[in-house]
Amino acid sequence: MSSRNSAGAPGPGAPARTSPPGGGLAGSGSLWGQVAKIALLGLFTALGVWAALPLYVGGNWAGIAVVAAVLVLVYWVYLSKRTVPLKYLLPGVLFLIAFQILPVLYTMSTSVTNFSDGHRGDKEQAIAAIEAYSVTRAEQGREFGLTVATTGDPETGELVFLLTDSDGTAYAGDIEGLRPLDDATVDPASGRVTEAFGYTVLTPAQVNARSQELEEFAVPVGDGAGIRANSLSTAYEGRATRVYDAGCDCVTDTSTGVVYTADDERGAFYSEDGERLAQGWRVNVGFDNFARFLFNPTFASSFFTILVWNIGFAVAVTGLVFVVGLAIALTLHVPRLRGKKAYRILVVLPYAMSSLAMYLLWRDMFNTDFGLFNQLLGTNVDWLGDAWTARFAVILANVWLGYPYMFLVATGALQAIPRELTQAARIDGAGAWQAFRHVTLPMLMVAMTPILIATFAFNFNNFNAVWLITKGGPFPPDDPSAGATDLLITYTYRMAFSQATAEYGYAAALSVMIFVIVSVMSVISLSRGKALQEVDR
Amino acid sequence: MTAATRGYRRSTGSAIALWSARFGWRHVVMIVVAAFALFPVLFVVSAAVNPVGTLSSARLWPTGAGFDNAADLFRNTPFTTWYANSLFFAVANAAATVFLSALAAYAFSRMRFRGRRVGMVGLLIIQMFPQFLAIVAIYLMFSTVGEYRPEVGFDTRWGLLLVYLGGALSINTWLMKGFFDTVPRELDESAQIDGATHAQVFFRIMLPLVTPVLAIVGLLVFISTINEFLMASVFLRDTDAKTLGLGLYQLVESQRNANFGMFSVGAIMLSLPTLIVFWFLQRYITEGLTAGAVKG
Amino acid sequence: MRLRSAPAIAALAATALMATACGGGDEDAQENTDTTLVIWSDPERAAAIEAAAQNFADTNGVRVDVQQLAFGDIQGDLLNAHQAGNAPDIFIGAHDWTGNLVRNGAVQPVELPEHRAETLDETSVQALTYDSQLFGVPYSQENIFLMRNTALAPDAPETFEELVEVGTSLKDGGETSEVLSMAVGQEGDPYRMNALFTSAGGYLFGQDAEGNWDPNDLGLNSDESIAAMEKIAEYGESGQGVLRRSIDTQNDASLFFDGEAPFFIAGPWNIGDADAADLEYAISPIPGFEGEGPARPYIGYQAFFITEGSANSALAQEFLANHVTDPGFILSLYESDPRTPVQLEALEEVSASDANIAAIAEAGAEGMPMPSIPEMGETWEPLGKAEAAIIGGADVRETMESTHETIAEKIGG
Repeated sequence: MSSRNSAGAPGPGAPARTSPPGGGLAGSGSLWGQVAKIALLGLFTALGVWAALPLYVGGNWAGIAVVAAVLVLVYWVYLSKRTVPLKYLLPGVLFLIAFQILPVLYTMSTSVTNFSDGHRGDKEQAIAAIEAYSVTRAEQGREFGLTVATTGDPETGELVFLLTDSDGTAYAGDIEGLRPLDDATVDPASGRVTEAFGYTVLTPAQVNARSQELEEFAVPVGDGAGIRANSLSTAYEGRATRVYDAGCDCVTDTSTGVVYTADDERGAFYSEDGERLAQGWRVNVGFDNFARFLFNPTFASSFFTILVWNIGFAVAVTGLVFVVGLAIALTLHVPRLRGKKAYRILVVLPYAMSSLAMYLLWRDMFNTDFGLFNQLLGTNVDWLGDAWTARFAVILANVWLGYPYMFLVATGALQAIPRELTQAARIDGAGAWQAFRHVTLPMLMVAMTPILIATFAFNFNNFNAVWLITKGGPFPPDDPSAGATDLLITYTYRMAFSQATAEYGYAAALSVMIFVIVSVMSVISLSRGKALQEVDR
Repeated sequence: MTAATRGYRRSTGSAIALWSARFGWRHVVMIVVAAFALFPVLFVVSAAVNPVGTLSSARLWPTGAGFDNAADLFRNTPFTTWYANSLFFAVANAAATVFLSALAAYAFSRMRFRGRRVGMVGLLIIQMFPQFLAIVAIYLMFSTVGEYRPEVGFDTRWGLLLVYLGGALSINTWLMKGFFDTVPRELDESAQIDGATHAQVFFRIMLPLVTPVLAIVGLLVFISTINEFLMASVFLRDTDAKTLGLGLYQLVESQRNANFGMFSVGAIMLSLPTLIVFWFLQRYITEGLTAGAVKG
Repeated sequence: MRLRSAPAIAALAATALMATACGGGDEDAQENTDTTLVIWSDPERAAAIEAAAQNFADTNGVRVDVQQLAFGDIQGDLLNAHQAGNAPDIFIGAHDWTGNLVRNGAVQPVELPEHRAETLDETSVQALTYDSQLFGVPYSQENIFLMRNTALAPDAPETFEELVEVGTSLKDGGETSEVLSMAVGQEGDPYRMNALFTSAGGYLFGQDAEGNWDPNDLGLNSDESIAAMEKIAEYGESGQGVLRRSIDTQNDASLFFDGEAPFFIAGPWNIGDADAADLEYAISPIPGFEGEGPARPYIGYQAFFITEGSANSALAQEFLANHVTDPGFILSLYESDPRTPVQLEALEEVSASDANIAAIAEAGAEGMPMPSIPEMGETWEPLGKAEAAIIGGADVRETMESTHETIAEKIGG
């Protein structure tokens, strides 16, 4: 079946009948359909049970509630008669919600936080890290040979360190403290205790299973110092120099005496003279991220420049691929052209190539000294080093990658236009150009508008296109954050990932801005163009 | 074509003139275009057979020919496994997306319900949110999933496939919906009057009529999945679980070598399935992409 | 509807039960997994680490699973994975990541037993130390050096001027097309440039008496640094054309291997290809400018880190303390991935048998460890772009001053 048959379909004047919902006839479904429906629902139920089982074991009631809700929804949709459209939409929509909408909402929610390197986790994690990182070997701290043992069950019994110091004296240390150990067998080669009466020596695997416990375990030896394990076979005497006190919500450095107080607005511990501890936590900062770029003049100007270029880029690429693709389609749109099939394959080839590899290849072809272009043209242009040639390069590469798709679309659309129409126009005395302009093109546009919009949207956020060729460069010497070919998306990416301090919160705020801009533009262009009228048809 | 209606005069001179007016320039244009289309491809092929194997030593014409790069690729990387993984994702995602998208397109095309317009516009707009930022969210989500069901957590094919399916409803749904619209309503309406259910109409009448657009969307998804590496790099860490795109990306990204020869071989290999699929779907493609070109 | 529902639901229940029964089988299979130590590595070293760790695995009755990521992705992915709670137990990384890893609380401190710490190069241990705490165990070091084509340039140049002179005469004579192959690229390469920058007297961060980097002492707009960049600009595109943006990490090596450049600022990663290429080469230190200080290339250390919150931290600590510091382990790593070890015994053994390693170590004698403070990360991109602009002919003072400001603003914020 082809669209050609639909040429005889009712024109736009035909009333769009509101079709009776098929659900009304659901009762007369075939037996086969019923069986399939039951089987699918059963399978889905099984899937639900499969998902819920470990949640039940783990006691995650919220998770079970979600699974149950989805199950109920599915049952309702597929057993009710009034939900016919949903029967068709639900499968795709469930995926869409789970793996696109929810992640996007989460990301949006981080735009009002200071989520960034040094502010990733919560306060407890920051405190734990601060304390753990401050444990240092005590001055002239002793080292011990270590054997981890227990007085009880290997999995749960209280941990005991069987220690030997450099003289070969054996000790037993537990949470109470250190005491001499008399009846221990010490292996002369390793200098470690291998056996001791009343203690069960743990195997490496058994010790490892209790890693978390071991990390926090220290045999107190007075004065805040403790003996900790630094491997399975050695222990050392060390002390934590930074201690958190919940009472004052502060961290005290015992070696310097400096007190760092928690600042819950900025998410870090600050001392009186403004020094902060490196480990911070994530806090809500309201609209600071938005304010940061909305009220910063440097930012505002680079944001505006990028936005203009971004729109220009998307328009140029979309327009050019359309023109080139259409021109090729028109050139080939003639009967009995020899080699048409071969041309078609050759012309479409770029579309089949891996775009990732091709972008890298284009980058290299633009190299000043070794690139193919300067070699072939005999020029010495610094293509990617100058703003406008770099922009040209990026556009050219994307036209190369994008036009075959347009060519295919245009070829199809051209073939669907009845030849009689153009012929009729020519007989009426119209020139070839006029016939094209007034008959062919308008009909083509109807078919191609949604595709053009999609191409525009795709190129507006075409990350690879810019990142793999120029990384957004070249950059003006005085502003390394916004390059001449930067799209909003590459600019955001640099903010979030590519610089030393990943600033998710800020990048998320930027994304929300971009998202709003693009959405508004799309909705406007959609509602003014024909595509949306089509939706309403 | 209209030129055909003009009279034929049978002098050789004017026949040539006629030929060049009608076909000659077309050949000239097409040769230029084909050259434009081909030279980067030629470049990559020459890099693939170039024994030196660095990007900059590659020339438009091969400076040497050999299969060292191909041999290296097969020897040093689990290339066949990567290849199989890529095909798995591409085929599975294409099949599932075509199905999910066709279901939705049917609803959008044939039914009128509240939220239809918002839904369609929403589909377009949600795609415009930068995906890579959602990576953190995806991390958190799948870590939780992996705790309970490691079968679909990180480092599993199913997990990644699920994420891919999140994009099943997209611009492709628009494309399909446009094509569905071209199928005359009378067909399904009369079937319903004859007692067919909406499901029967969909499976028995609609689907066979819209095969071209199914083929197109399948191809589009196939191509984009096979080239995808951003999400794959987050998900797949086991060497054996990787896709070819991801493996190739890591090959060039790795700081040690400019493995461009190997990369080129891989890129060509990666293009082959696309070409093959393309070849087989060729007859649908021109039909499918028109998406209801002429409606009056 | 209601009538049909009863059998439908019965059938559903049956299907559900069957499918669940099948699912239940999987559940049991999942239960008996051994302890597995997960290590993240880049693809180059994965096989080497896996093989070298086998001994450890056998001794302790565990499994070691080495997963591969592109080296540049490891840090970012690790931070995300750590936050989500599915990070590996151990990962390899560069010492200059330390500051950022610590700031995010993503790594565990390591306390090396003294008899182990003693066997490592002291500077390398210092480089992995942050706030007087050791956070990773270094195992190899790397620095850039000068590689020359001995057929074209038989003698190692003593000064950069001499290098340019020799190279220029070769270029003028038509024997080569380049004087020197040194990657700059469109975005600059501060890593390589540091050698020349320091020789000419420039500095990025100041150091306090104990050798700790001081992020508050940013030196880019100092007169010394500007003078240094002016010196470098003389060799740029509007000067002698020795340093050019068109040479980048994609083509620098092949320029040299094709005999198009007599000199090459190379790294240990180029050795393998150099041996395979059809030419005679020699390694020497990067020469400094005449009458100025020595060129000080950055030294980078590669290290093993333990993730905070690792469920197998006891084993991981054991692995780092007693295996990564073990000469046998280092030598077996070296065999499949030759890098200069920092384990002194292993270094001695390797230097004796491999002249390149000795020469690279000599070239790194004047080197400086890359600063590992988190602020360092903020400098790469702006500084690189500034250097690229200067080599392209931009005004030095203006560029350096605005770059200084950009970086200072980022560090301060």
